[in-house]
Amino acid sequence: MNNELMAFLLLNACETLDRRVLKVLDLQGITLSEIWNGGKEILENLPVTAHVKTKLMEFAGNGWAETELERCGRAGIKLVPITCKTYPSLLKEVPTAPLLLYIKGQWPPDGRCVSVVGTRRCSSYGIRVAHMLGEELASVGLTPISGGAKGIDGSVHSGALDADGATVAVLGTGVDIVYPGGHEHLFDKISAGAGALISEYPLGTRAAGWRFPKRNRIIAGMSEKLIVVEAPLRSGAMITAKYAMELGREVWSVPGRIGENVSRGSNGLIFDGAYPLIDVETFIGSFSEEQLNLFRNVQRPSKPESITDAQEKILSLLREKGERTVDNIASECKMSAAEVLNSIGLLVAVGNVYPSSPGRWSASLK
Amino acid sequence: MSAVYGVTLKGIEAVKVEVEVEITGGLFSISIVGLPDAAVRESKERVRAALRAMGVSVRGRVAINLAPADLPKEGALLDLPIAIGLAAKTGAMHLTKPSIFMGELALDGRLRPVRGAVPAALLARNMGLNLYIPDANASEVSLVHGIKAFKVPDLASLLGFFRGEKELERVQTSRATRKLPEVDPDFSDIKGQAAAKRALEIAAAGHHNILLIGSPGSGKTMLARALRGILPPLSDEELMEVMLIRSTLGLGGSEGRERPFRPVHHTASTVSICGGGTNLRPGELSMAHRGVLFLDEFTEFRRDLLESLRQPLEDGEIVVSRASGSVTYPAQVLLVAACNPCACGWLGDPVEQCRCSAHDIERYQKKLSGPILDRIDLYVSVPRLTPDELLSLEGKCGESSAVIRKRVCRARKIQLDRWSGEGFRSNAELSEKLLRTSISLSTEARSFLGSVSGAIKLSGRGMSRILKVSRTIADLAGSETISTVHISEALAYRETGFLA
Repeated sequence: MNNELMAFLLLNACETLDRRVLKVLDLQGITLSEIWNGGKEILENLPVTAHVKTKLMEFAGNGWAETELERCGRAGIKLVPITCKTYPSLLKEVPTAPLLLYIKGQWPPDGRCVSVVGTRRCSSYGIRVAHMLGEELASVGLTPISGGAKGIDGSVHSGALDADGATVAVLGTGVDIVYPGGHEHLFDKISAGAGALISEYPLGTRAAGWRFPKRNRIIAGMSEKLIVVEAPLRSGAMITAKYAMELGREVWSVPGRIGENVSRGSNGLIFDGAYPLIDVETFIGSFSEEQLNLFRNVQRPSKPESITDAQEKILSLLREKGERTVDNIASECKMSAAEVLNSIGLLVAVGNVYPSSPGRWSASLK
Repeated sequence: MSAVYGVTLKGIEAVKVEVEVEITGGLFSISIVGLPDAAVRESKERVRAALRAMGVSVRGRVAINLAPADLPKEGALLDLPIAIGLAAKTGAMHLTKPSIFMGELALDGRLRPVRGAVPAALLARNMGLNLYIPDANASEVSLVHGIKAFKVPDLASLLGFFRGEKELERVQTSRATRKLPEVDPDFSDIKGQAAAKRALEIAAAGHHNILLIGSPGSGKTMLARALRGILPPLSDEELMEVMLIRSTLGLGGSEGRERPFRPVHHTASTVSICGGGTNLRPGELSMAHRGVLFLDEFTEFRRDLLESLRQPLEDGEIVVSRASGSVTYPAQVLLVAACNPCACGWLGDPVEQCRCSAHDIERYQKKLSGPILDRIDLYVSVPRLTPDELLSLEGKCGESSAVIRKRVCRARKIQLDRWSGEGFRSNAELSEKLLRTSISLSTEARSFLGSVSGAIKLSGRGMSRILKVSRTIADLAGSETISTVHISEALAYRETGFLA
């Protein structure tokens, strides 16, 4: 049994201790093995609050760490302490980095990581952008990291999976818990593929409001660049952006329409000096080229491409003028409603057009 | 003496009730046996008073038997046969031919209209009996051909008729007028909304259930109401079915050949929609038979209520089972549902801001799932037009309802001709087997559908929906085979959540 790992399990289980405790232990001359083997006296004398102490005693007393280790072994969940080689090196720089990561899936990821975050309550445009980002980043060998939530997060993950790439979801629950409900399939695909589900929380930890903002420091800490897709002023994505800025990481933000709550925060970031994400190529170009794995460029499945003149006309109108109703298109392209609808039906099916709000259509991003 | 018959209703069917009267000596009393309900039991007071007004006095112990004895009888429509039975027994008149009588008596002998005249007329026709009905029920009965029915204004005329002193007027059979009333709003009154108008045209043509999604003020309700104006007129056979239900409910004469349109509020009870109650009555579903059932604020309906609509929408009829027995009501309806895109209604609106949280939206859209939606073929999002857009559409209002109705009628006729051998009236009813075998897809269309269905992950049910809808689109275009164009238009009416 690895004493150090057991000590990490124990310390991490308190949920309030992070990297800083190691420094304190070091100063006091207490080693991790001593914490595990030392029994009551050592724990009594730890320089931590009384509350944490009682928790530690309780966990040490009832053999929780052994059971947790066994549970992880059975579920194929890796335990990566901060001292481990595979612990993300960028995350180590974070002053409040977690002591231990629970990881389900392939670890470590092949490519460099890019965090992509945004609000759960996003527009349908935001969903498209997030999906496209996930797909494009994964197809050049980058690993998109996000929070596994509904909305932007989920679209980033599914975009990466659609490109057969790796993606990492940093969860605010135990890695064995599916939150939000409905993401069972997505999480299965993430951990079964080249990516992973990560959490600092012990197995079985349920969702609680305060764990998600705390978890955001990991999302910000794991990658050198953060992209904010859509974020209102008060949102988790803005908290992540704040962490990233404090860490001196690059922050990119997708410009949104002014006057819409959903892009007030993300546009504010641009005003504050974040890079506007004007297209994916520019973003990808911001990495130095030799580190990009351009050979992993995955061929997207071919689409039934046989676009007629009418469809072409509608597509270029939507590209040029943005969101349109069927009435607009019919009068601007001089077609009947039936003609417009049969063109749109096909364009939607092959993914060139999407419904952007009730009864309105927009051209897809690519 | 010939038998005196009345009727009682079982579902929308009239059942013959024979009225037997026996009078023996003794103190005066009347007893009615044969499972009468309160209305029938009270009829003895009305009957006696009416007869006395005619100068017929009843004396002695009167026993009235309503056969068959084990069938519950309901309603005041048995007043008249009881009165006739009594009058014949006392010798005040003589009945030469077994006949069916129906009507509620006033104390002075006048006849009041009753429910169920049309089912009774059908029964009379089947059994070859004469029918005597209250004056006020004549207009509905006039649509039943091949019967000998007489209009009875009051008991005095009827007694006079049987004594050979008076003539009774025969009910003249008539045909419902071909002319359809003007419907407000007309399609040309609605600005823009070309997509929704087209979808409604397809819904009307192929009898496809349709869901309209849009923000408040986008015009969903107006569009749904305008649908009445493009539906084809009721055929004779259909009119008879509609009349049968109207008559069972006592709604009287019809409004010509216009199809019924029944808007239902979301607070309605299951019984009021499906039918039932202590005295079994058809519900809104049956009142909308051969017409439109409109459920506005679809997501506000109770889940169990929507679930109970599922089977009737599948089968075109509804079986109401109660302790007192089970009856079957027809319920072949075109379901038109309308709802907001989210709880506050402004999701995706160009002007207003939606105030729903992510959780609210998810919960709302969960309501919009479930088995009932399997029965909906067409999904249409209705945009709320901005003032600019409305102004830019000034003067471009599209076709009038009359023009669209012509196309719809033509498409319906094509379907009727094609499927009547198989027992279907419209494309929406087609069975899976028929869809696979005899839907005449062109070769390109087949390969196109194959390639597209892979790309958009079309389920089996989704596929048959697309096939049915594209069959209707082809019929509207007068095309014998379904081509790629028809399929790609059908693809535009898929359920594409604009957030998914």
